[in-house]
Amino acid sequence: MISFKDITKEFKPDFWKPSFLALDSLSFNIPEGCITGFLGANGAGKTTSLKILMNFINTNSGEVEYSRALGSTWNEIVSNIGFLPERPYFYPHLTGLEFIHYMGDLCGVKRSTIAERSAKWGERFKIRFAFDRKIRGYSKGMLQRLGYVISLIHDPQLVIFDEPLSGLDPVGRKELKDAMREINDLGKTVFFSSHIISDVEEVCDQVIFIEKGKLVYQGQIDQLIKSKMKSEVLFKVKCSPEKLTAIGIDSFAGIGDGKFKFTTLTIDQNKTIRNLLASEISILELSPKRPTLEEVIYKVGEF
Amino acid sequence: MKTLIVARYSFVEIVKSNVLINTLFLGLGLVVIIYIASEFTYGVPHRIALDFGLGAVSLSSVGMATFFGVGLISKEIENRTVYMVLSKPLSRQAFIVGRIIGMGGILFINISIIGVITTCFFSFLGGEINTLVITTFLFIFLEAMMALGIIVFFSLITNNTLSIIFTIFFYIVGHALGETKALSFAVSRPLLQSFLKFIEFILPNFSKINLRTYVLYEQSLPDSFLIQAFLYAVFYSFFLFLVSTLIFNRKNLD
Ligand SMILES: Nc1ncnc2c1ncn2[C@@H]1O[C@H](COP(=O)(O)OP(=O)(O)OP(=O)(O)O)[C@@H](O)[C@H]1O
Ligand SMILES: [Mg+2]
Repeated sequence: MISFKDITKEFKPDFWKPSFLALDSLSFNIPEGCITGFLGANGAGKTTSLKILMNFINTNSGEVEYSRALGSTWNEIVSNIGFLPERPYFYPHLTGLEFIHYMGDLCGVKRSTIAERSAKWGERFKIRFAFDRKIRGYSKGMLQRLGYVISLIHDPQLVIFDEPLSGLDPVGRKELKDAMREINDLGKTVFFSSHIISDVEEVCDQVIFIEKGKLVYQGQIDQLIKSKMKSEVLFKVKCSPEKLTAIGIDSFAGIGDGKFKFTTLTIDQNKTIRNLLASEISILELSPKRPTLEEVIYKVGEF
Repeated sequence: MKTLIVARYSFVEIVKSNVLINTLFLGLGLVVIIYIASEFTYGVPHRIALDFGLGAVSLSSVGMATFFGVGLISKEIENRTVYMVLSKPLSRQAFIVGRIIGMGGILFINISIIGVITTCFFSFLGGEINTLVITTFLFIFLEAMMALGIIVFFSLITNNTLSIIFTIFFYIVGHALGETKALSFAVSRPLLQSFLKFIEFILPNFSKINLRTYVLYEQSLPDSFLIQAFLYAVFYSFFLFLVSTLIFNRKNLD
């Protein structure tokens, strides 16, 4: 849907200070129809990338390409994007519904349609009850929820959320993740930034991982895990610890009741089973162990 | 029209922040002050009413233009509401022009409320309402729009405190320009005179659109003078708004 081509962005805090390279010839693309996670540590350049994407700030070099499906003029492109900024804020003296009307009017959405959609998404994001309150009195999570409704009010093809899960309670996080899948099922492309890897792994098919303004990985999560981690199996056995050391298994953990668990590489699985049986150790459980994206990113240390 | 949508909601937002309540209070205070003052003066109570009223309208409008104008665009950027609005199909110029029109509406309402109170009192105390009185209120609106243009321009290129200081400075200097030029000290020095003419050309010449002294002493003004002053204020404000729009169009919103 959108491709970044060699985007470089420097910030100059003051004209006598050296400039700071926030994005370093960054290239990636947001695939159509997927839920894509935009991962990176604090200060990696996620928000900066999104600001460039939305034309809020300019670049030093490189360009952003918008697919034909979004439109050819900036107005058309923006009409097809629902954007939620980081820590969104709205006019404090208006009520939630008034602000929704403002945004809907700007998108040229009919009043009846606005009413319909705001009711639907307001219900979905559990914020409808506060529509008639002044935004000044909204809590952090309520602002966030109002933001989701507004980003969907014009039924965009692509939604872009910057840190949508921050400021939400656990139930809210779960709801939003479900909602993102639902939005994706409606045929929309979803792109959101986060630094919580497990959230991204849970809902996304694709990841774009950046670090210090450089692309580290873009692609399928499964492939990333496969390419970076050797697959393992998990054993649970019941025996005395000495017996395990005797057959060369040193790293194991007790799980109580004389039971132990340990992992081996999948390629060593049969050899281990034979050894265990030979020492008359009873195998309680044998299961493939899927490494999480988090382990891939932190333990392998390749990034 | 997207501009008018922005203008409408900007207007509503400021109205809901209850500033116009202050206007009503100011109007009420004015009534009391005019009443007391007219009791204590001899002969020309209606002139007192007009004097106080025009002063109140002018100061409150320029004050409002300054203190709301400074945040009209810059507060939106600081509060990140601008990201919400500009991520919708809306050009930056439509946004800034809409904000300015919305603020203009607030100034208009403010001037109308105090203006009506003043003219009522004025006529009640025996003053004669003529077109010049009404024109003076219109010119106060133009004065406030010029001040708005100045503050919006500065708020886009510098911080809020400096913007307010500059605007107040230009407001005072702009009002003093006419008198300075007429000083015999200045009149007798051609070099100084041409320097003042030059400054007058660049700086906002508020004294040019100040009709208060004329209306108070019931002097008549030729139409050509009024038209010239009107066009000056309109073009000066438009020019400032245009420059602000150009700056905002290219500004990095970070
Ligand atoms: N206006 C600015 N002036 C100077 N430096 C900036 C500016 N905006 C961002 N930066 C710098 O650019 C880098 C990237 O910032 P960015 O906000 O994109 O990070 P992020 O990935 O969104 O982080 P987070 O997860 O904390 O939101 C940071 O080092 C930041 O200090
Ligand atoms: Mg960020």
